[in-house]
Amino acid sequence: MSAYIIETIIKVVVVMLVFSALAGFITYLERKVLAFMQRRLGPMYVGPYGLLQVLADGIKLFTKEDIVPSNANRPIFMIAPVISAATAFIAMAAIPFFPEFDLFGHTVRPIISDINVGLLFVLSVGAIGMYGPLLAGMSSGNKWSLLGAARATVQLLSFEVVSGLAILAPLMVIGSLSLIDINNYQHGGIFDWLVWTQPVAFLLFIIAGYAELNRTPFDLLEHEAEVVAGFATEYSGMRWGMFFIGEYANMITLAFLSALIFFGGFNDLWFIPGGIAILLKVMFFIFLFLWVRAAWPHIRPDQLMWLCWKVLMPIALVNILITGIVVMI
Amino acid sequence: MVNSKAKYVEVELEKYSLKPFDRFKRVMKRTFKGELFVGLGIVFREMVRFNIHTTQYPGEKLPISPRYRAIHELLRLLESGNERCIGCGLCEKICISKCIRMDTHLGEDGRKHISEYTINFGRCIFCGYCAEVCPELAIVHGPRYENSSEQRAHFGLKEDMLTPIDVFKKGAQKEYPGFGAPSPDADKRIKKTPLAY
Amino acid sequence: MKEITIFIDGKELKAIENEYILNIARENGIFIPAICYLTRCSPTLACKLCMVEANGKRVYSCNAKAKEGMDIITTTPEIEEERRAILEVYDINHPLQCGVCDKSGECELQNYTLEMGVDVQHYHIADSKKEIEDWGHAKYDPYLCIMCERCVTVCKDMVGDAALKTTPRGTEALDKDWKDKIPKDAFSIWNRINKNIIGRVEENNRCEDCGECIAVCPVGALANSHFQYTSNAWELTKIPATCPHCSAGCLIDYEIKHTDIENSECKIYRVTNDWNYVTLCGAGRFGYENKNSTTKCEKDFLSAMDAFLRADTIRFSSFITNEEALILQRLKEKRGYKLINSDAYNFQKFLEDYSKTSGSSLYSGSKRDIHSSDLIFTIGGAMSNDNPNIRFALNNSGKLNKASIYYSHTYRDKIIQTLSKTTTEIVYKPLKEELVLLLLIDSIVEKSSIPEVISVYLESFKEKRVKTIQKEIKEKVLDEEGKEIEVAKKIDEEVEYVHNTILDELGLAQEFSDELKKDYSSKSSPILIAGSDLYSHKRAENIARLLGFIEKHSNFKVLLIPTSTNTLGVSLICDLDKEAGDYVIGYNDIGDYRLSSLGDGDLDMPALNQQEGTFTTIDKRVVPTNAALPYGGYELNDIAKELGVFSKETIRYTKMLPTKSGFVEALFDELPLEYTNGGVDNRGYELEAKSFEAQNAIDAADISSELEGDIVYKRDPISQFNEFTKSSKLLEAKDGIYCSLEFLEKRSLSSGDLVELEIGKESITHHVYVDDSMDGDIVALSTFQSRKLDHKIFGDGYRYVAAKIKKV
Repeated sequence: MSAYIIETIIKVVVVMLVFSALAGFITYLERKVLAFMQRRLGPMYVGPYGLLQVLADGIKLFTKEDIVPSNANRPIFMIAPVISAATAFIAMAAIPFFPEFDLFGHTVRPIISDINVGLLFVLSVGAIGMYGPLLAGMSSGNKWSLLGAARATVQLLSFEVVSGLAILAPLMVIGSLSLIDINNYQHGGIFDWLVWTQPVAFLLFIIAGYAELNRTPFDLLEHEAEVVAGFATEYSGMRWGMFFIGEYANMITLAFLSALIFFGGFNDLWFIPGGIAILLKVMFFIFLFLWVRAAWPHIRPDQLMWLCWKVLMPIALVNILITGIVVMI
Repeated sequence: MVNSKAKYVEVELEKYSLKPFDRFKRVMKRTFKGELFVGLGIVFREMVRFNIHTTQYPGEKLPISPRYRAIHELLRLLESGNERCIGCGLCEKICISKCIRMDTHLGEDGRKHISEYTINFGRCIFCGYCAEVCPELAIVHGPRYENSSEQRAHFGLKEDMLTPIDVFKKGAQKEYPGFGAPSPDADKRIKKTPLAY
Repeated sequence: MKEITIFIDGKELKAIENEYILNIARENGIFIPAICYLTRCSPTLACKLCMVEANGKRVYSCNAKAKEGMDIITTTPEIEEERRAILEVYDINHPLQCGVCDKSGECELQNYTLEMGVDVQHYHIADSKKEIEDWGHAKYDPYLCIMCERCVTVCKDMVGDAALKTTPRGTEALDKDWKDKIPKDAFSIWNRINKNIIGRVEENNRCEDCGECIAVCPVGALANSHFQYTSNAWELTKIPATCPHCSAGCLIDYEIKHTDIENSECKIYRVTNDWNYVTLCGAGRFGYENKNSTTKCEKDFLSAMDAFLRADTIRFSSFITNEEALILQRLKEKRGYKLINSDAYNFQKFLEDYSKTSGSSLYSGSKRDIHSSDLIFTIGGAMSNDNPNIRFALNNSGKLNKASIYYSHTYRDKIIQTLSKTTTEIVYKPLKEELVLLLLIDSIVEKSSIPEVISVYLESFKEKRVKTIQKEIKEKVLDEEGKEIEVAKKIDEEVEYVHNTILDELGLAQEFSDELKKDYSSKSSPILIAGSDLYSHKRAENIARLLGFIEKHSNFKVLLIPTSTNTLGVSLICDLDKEAGDYVIGYNDIGDYRLSSLGDGDLDMPALNQQEGTFTTIDKRVVPTNAALPYGGYELNDIAKELGVFSKETIRYTKMLPTKSGFVEALFDELPLEYTNGGVDNRGYELEAKSFEAQNAIDAADISSELEGDIVYKRDPISQFNEFTKSSKLLEAKDGIYCSLEFLEKRSLSSGDLVELEIGKESITHHVYVDDSMDGDIVALSTFQSRKLDHKIFGDGYRYVAAKIKKV
């Protein structure tokens, strides 16, 4: 039992460290990729090709003064970013990142906790993350923050519905909520991938995912031209950094989920071992985030709501209906 | 100058139908037209081509236009090396941000002399009117745009702006080709005064 | 003064017959270009730009007189052509250095050149070398001079010094060929410019450094040497104000700007005036430097409060605004202070006595009346020194109206002699002023209106005498051949006549009285000007009554010159006391605790150019003045507030000035401060004179007393009035004893020597200087440098004292 606890703790620490670091590294990637797509160079001065820029930014974030506005609701203001970051990491607890492997004769299962309702857990913890922006915005005592928080709540609540409904169809096909089961369901090679049978569900899921992560084209809640930095307007230093880490951790989570549910997870692909395969898939999804950000403009809040309730949700329902009929037959 | 190749299309908003079915059709048409992927394609293409346009300032610097308007300079007369400024005060008058001030006095030679001349660079908007109005090409814009300093007054006093006499003697004083400077064919356009005797 | 109707450019205008057309146009806001003409001076005809067509004939509007029904066209294509040629001539060799010209765009030549559209120059001549000259406050640059002669005109016709003239330049004459190529008028102007420049009169130059020539110069030829090149005109902000130095209360503009690059506090750069309407003396133009830069120091203020609580008397000078005078009056009513102001006290009494016989609470004359009068009689004041504007007006009417000037004073003033062709000087001994007035009454007042006391008294001077006159008679004699022929022969004949010993007393010929009478009856607007010798005279009461009597019973308007800036205002507002109490607060005056605008007292007060308020001028007008410079310290109103006389700002008192003395309830901010185009003083408002029944209560003269020994007269040099003008470094007149050259030689002194004055128990030593304008044995002692000295020597009394003068 104690071995299990120790193992879990080690896994937690590793996940925390690796993904925190990754979140930082993705910012570097993001800046570089965006720069290249815009014919720029991106960060170049700190370290070779600006590689240490992440470190510099990290040091800056850590050493910056932590300012709490005098009219803010102090405890809530201080706790909001923690909620945002914590939920992002907690959600990772049920995600199997890699296939099992042996380390020093010990079989390691690279999942912190294989819950049988893993997917549900991930989605619900992610939904709780909504409290981060909401509380941050409401406690800041700033009109831009409040507007940002309102937008965040509306956006997250709405798209939670779409993502939930979208994921329902594949689940009906698989019949399990455990992500390992979902992964194993697609073990039969590239044609077993759920994306072929559930393409609509995948599209809906990925669109809703973008919306929940406030990525372009749905980055309304911190759109500078309209609401300054939205709910994060009053934040500085590491507290702002936690929102940041939370967002990037969520990006990774979403990338893993997409890979696991629709793209065959960590099953071996041709000659590629499963561990590498899932990494490649995740890397593609992360790249897709950046790619989309470089290419597309963002949309208006009313268009966002229209898209959610009038387009995506009906399509999701129709998709479930059709899947249900197909499964029944 | 209308470019015949340009294909500008005026969008007539009235043409858009507001009927529900028409709107539905429009949405479907736009959704499946795949224009979104054109955008993705273009940025991806640019990334792959890797045709970077960044200038890595301060390592690299772009040449600036001779008409660039940066920190001012006071020039000296080419022959004598005396200050060109005659203290007429036109720059002070024309300055729209009221950042130029000058003190003048009666010199011992009976001429107007400037005792002190300042530009408050905290206020200057670098519009170039002073250089344009100057009848003597005395106050001009220099090419120096890097002006971080401990005090903004560091560039604004007469001794900061006036060409140092050693620089002048080396012949390193540069003429100003910007607004207010005589055009290259100025000589040709001069009309002789009938007062010539 | 017949009113006529004329037409200028089709516009129907009412005008006075024989007025110059240009003046009528200016009055009615019609523009006729003119450079050389000054509204109140005689036409020079130098610029010839003002040519117009009157009834189809070309005339110069500055010297063409308006006639009934005249139809005037100000511009025709031919006239425009000529004007353009004239401007072109003016521009010949005029340096194209407008950028560094001190005129900085206020240039009439520049304006007209652009107005006439001169963009090409057809005429040319080689320029000759000329010297830039330094004339004290003025600097003359002949290269810029266009020979409009405005400076010469103003100095001659207005100021009266005639210190400038045109002098030949000594250049070659113009080529004859030009004559055919150039319009006639333009050619004559070119000839003149080519021949002459402006020069100073070398012998007996009377220039008093008034700077009016600088003001009128249309180009940069005459520059103010203190101002030159210190600022462009357009950078200066004009603050219209009233000159605070004397009772003339001239409208001036303080021109202010930040001091320099480092110091943003405002500074007065120069004083300018609207020279068509106002002429400034040197003090007005150059005496602007006095200001009090101070900050609020609570300790000083508390000590001032202590002093005010302890004091029972406030002594103050008349260099004070009406509003502050009212504050002092309110303080008196509230706390029972005695108010001491000797010159206003004397003036108050004088005016009271005057009105008893004149039947009006105020005197009738004004400065403008002098300008338009044709007979002027002055008494009891050194007009040039006491109030230069009166001198300017005397000169102006002497020159333009050919007015006869009768100048009676205790010594001859050589400047006055030059003012008019018909100047008569009457010299009387100090304390004999009444005699002069009685002589005047005897000469001009109807015998029937003179009270018996006076006529009896006057008769007592007259005696029948016999004089021998040569008479030519024709006699028939027989010549050698026995023919009867007529031969002229002179014989002495004894004639009986009435001899008036008053005339002897005053050193006048026996014919004077009749001549004056004849002169008086031929003139339509005589004016009598009384100076401040009279107010402190021990017979002031009777003198005032005599003046009132003259005003009542003759055509004479009477003008009393208030002693200093606001003497009239103070005398109308304050209820003054004669004797001071034990503890005296001196406000710009001597006292145990001193409030001073000069910064040398116990508590600082703002100078008059740092105050808003009103003055009551010689013209009986209440005129506003504005603060040109900021003031950081306490003012009288702050003290008054603490003492329970409350008003938020000093200028709120303007409305509360006593209406029973003729003031009007008017808000300070609504008072106008300008002249009309016609040159009518439209500033503030005029006091309302109250009229009542006049009495004939005049008395005979008392001429029994005389001053023994050397006579010292309290008189400041020209352009110096008080400690405030003294603190202006630009005014150079020295303090000391001034005397005539004759006196100096008699006492074998030389200019600059120290002499000792022994006056009663007091004795002072001072330098002695020659005053060219003086004549006779009376010496003048200047007291502008210190109120203390004034008080010590003259005791706020009569301006003449007997003294002993010794060389040290």
